[in-house]
Amino acid sequence: MNRGTWLLGRLAQIVPSFLFIGVAVFVLARLLPGDPVSAMLGDHATDATLARLTAQLGLDRSIPVQLMQFLGGVLRGELGDSIAYRIPVARLIAERLPATVLLTLLSVAIALALAVPLAFVAALNANRWPDLLIRFVFQIGLSTPIFYVGLLLLTVLAAWAHLFPVGGYGDGWRAHLWHLFLPALTLALSFAAVLMRSLRGAVLDVINAEFVDFARSKGLRARVLLGRHVLRSAMIATVTLVGLHVGSLLGGAVITESVFAVPGVGRLMVESIFARDYPVIQALTLVLAVFVSLALLATDIVQMWLDPRVGR
Amino acid sequence: MSNGLVLTRRAGLALAAGFAAVPVLTLPGVAQAAPVRGGKMVYGRYADSLFLDPVLNDANVDIWVMNNLYDTLLTPMQDGLGVAPGLATKWSMSADGKSLALTLREGVKFANGTQMTAEDVKWSLDRARNPKNGAWVDLVASITDVVIDGPLAVTVKLKHPDLSILAALATFNTAIMPKALFEATQGATDAEKAKAFAEKPIGTGPFMLVEWQRGVIMKLVRNPYYWKMAPDGKPLPYLDALDFQIIPDDSTRLLKLKAGELHGTEFVPYSRVKEIQADANLRMELWPSTKVTYLTMNVRPKLGDGSVNPLSDVKVRQALNYAVNKDAVIAITTQGLGTPMTSFMSKSTPMQHAQTLYKADVAKAKALLAETPFKAGFEVTCMMVAGNVDSTNNLTTIQQMWAPLGVKLKIEQLDNPTLTKRYRAGDFSMRTASWTDDIADPNQITSYFAYFPNIGSLHSGWDNKKVNALFETSQEEVDPAKRKAQYREIQEVYTEEAPILFLYESPYPVAFRKNAMGFVQIPLGNNLFEGAYLAA
Repeated sequence: MNRGTWLLGRLAQIVPSFLFIGVAVFVLARLLPGDPVSAMLGDHATDATLARLTAQLGLDRSIPVQLMQFLGGVLRGELGDSIAYRIPVARLIAERLPATVLLTLLSVAIALALAVPLAFVAALNANRWPDLLIRFVFQIGLSTPIFYVGLLLLTVLAAWAHLFPVGGYGDGWRAHLWHLFLPALTLALSFAAVLMRSLRGAVLDVINAEFVDFARSKGLRARVLLGRHVLRSAMIATVTLVGLHVGSLLGGAVITESVFAVPGVGRLMVESIFARDYPVIQALTLVLAVFVSLALLATDIVQMWLDPRVGR
Repeated sequence: MSNGLVLTRRAGLALAAGFAAVPVLTLPGVAQAAPVRGGKMVYGRYADSLFLDPVLNDANVDIWVMNNLYDTLLTPMQDGLGVAPGLATKWSMSADGKSLALTLREGVKFANGTQMTAEDVKWSLDRARNPKNGAWVDLVASITDVVIDGPLAVTVKLKHPDLSILAALATFNTAIMPKALFEATQGATDAEKAKAFAEKPIGTGPFMLVEWQRGVIMKLVRNPYYWKMAPDGKPLPYLDALDFQIIPDDSTRLLKLKAGELHGTEFVPYSRVKEIQADANLRMELWPSTKVTYLTMNVRPKLGDGSVNPLSDVKVRQALNYAVNKDAVIAITTQGLGTPMTSFMSKSTPMQHAQTLYKADVAKAKALLAETPFKAGFEVTCMMVAGNVDSTNNLTTIQQMWAPLGVKLKIEQLDNPTLTKRYRAGDFSMRTASWTDDIADPNQITSYFAYFPNIGSLHSGWDNKKVNALFETSQEEVDPAKRKAQYREIQEVYTEEAPILFLYESPYPVAFRKNAMGFVQIPLGNNLFEGAYLAA
């Protein structure tokens, strides 16, 4: 099997998984107790008002009929209107997705920038004080709840030192990056801890591997050795971890976006679940599934490039 | 007004608009500079609006800001107890109480520059009372017809005398919309047109909406055609622009306020009020509200699982009320900012009849419980919305207060839609709840709390024939004194029967930067920015 076929095979797997995710989220949303109409009308609406709005929204139709309408809509590229906001779901998501994508990418970049060099320092000084210090600091990052780290950074760096704005998103790309730095750092801290530990372990394994001994015996200089042999082999695990972690970074974005008032899809998802806004929950889950699938696909491709054994 | 409430601006407006003077309350030492025109105020909201249609909206997030875009024929008074002129300058009720003649204000224009006409008024009121339209139809159910008598004259015809009609014409759902513009909006049905129109609503209010990113920001600019004049004889509003930023997290909103990125923000947690009052750059405002916080009880003889319901026994409910020290709950949950409820209605509700209800008395509570089959105590579960700090504080405090009676309170945390579903189905023992009036009349709260045929008295199952009859009579009562007496009786019966656990009233906590002045929140909750300005 060559690499092209292998990639096509990976792409082909994505389609049925979307169908499965679509049906699953449709069913799961409706298994949640409560419904969008009573969530919207609240405690005091009369039964007649409730029934009228339910019918108006087509929520009085049977579940299979609603499911077919939903899947048919997805195939035609129509995601329907948000029940709570009464505007097209596509527009709502289009407004909110960029902030989350940018936040996720920025946090991956920060996490890598923190984790990669420090992992090497830690591995090369294994069990000596730099290693212990790095591991200790990252352990704190890993074990502190995201919302707390976020509030701490906001209070100290934004509200007190005025180095960053207190939440929000700003206007224009530079403002976006500036506004997103603290939330991205918040997300990156715990992720960097995971990355650092894994990469440190991988580097230790590689340094002690036979092929490195062999390379060393050929007389390769330490820098070349680290760059060409150790980094490349050790990064395979890191890349896998980044790919797998995009999903949980999106999960973390839910909290971070609330604390930092970032107008992303994480916050939208939570709001929609609380409002039982089925069309938004469904569409957003599909969009996030695409996002995660693409991240995993990108991981596969990078791995293929790093590790000649993949895809053979 | 030791809490730092400054009301002068609104009082000035009230005088300028020609209605009765509201007491001017000022903190000693606060300089009153003349309002400044221009600038943009940024206000942090905890949640965004959903649907800016006066008739079809469903929530306070819409209601409380809509008056910045639309006007009503009459407006609620600052104290919440009466009405003042709005788009109508004069009104008179016929002798039989079934015909209300209104004179419209001359020269009122919508934000797009078109003239407001009697046709717009008739169309808007007809839309508001269309039984197919929305949740608020009941407030104007007595209207049978709206007749145009001339370019500036309309008559509202009533099925029966209805003393609440003036308050109804000062309520958001009777806001006047531009008929021609609405009808020219894309969409086959009224609901579809409303959706499109509410994207960029045009009303006669002080501001108009120019940009709206849902859940993120709402940008308003001043309506250049606004009719209301400031005391200096020039038109309101003072601000050129008003941004509503949506920041759900309480701590973040306050941090942004402190950092100067917001001029003001709403829903300051009670636990942070003292800190803001101590901040030299900020001003804490606590606006009198119609908000009451209580626990709803299910009073049906049997619970959903078929077990006998102790709360169906009135003496049990009275005992539970006597066992709760409201002052202690107020001290713990609201940091002393609340006041004990004195009726199921707030003090800001017209015709409220203040009573000393259920002053804490553990001995009396025990004695009452001893007269019931539940003297050995029982276990009762109270639902609350998961994570709500106020509810947690209230319930854990009450838990301890009930323990001496042998009543074990279990707290069940649920997400809101789940709680609402169980509540509506009557599948609960108790739940936490609060209420704010939407109309400056006692009829709305009474129809929900006490009048069974509407929603089963807060879904409690409490069905009191006397109260039901009194309410029905009061709805058609012509004599204000008699109506007041009827409401007095309803409130007394309600207190005696105690289908709820009475807790407290609490103000609307709003905070501003020192230079951001002139905001007003009325007891119904409406946020008024027409007189808001940024001092130099």
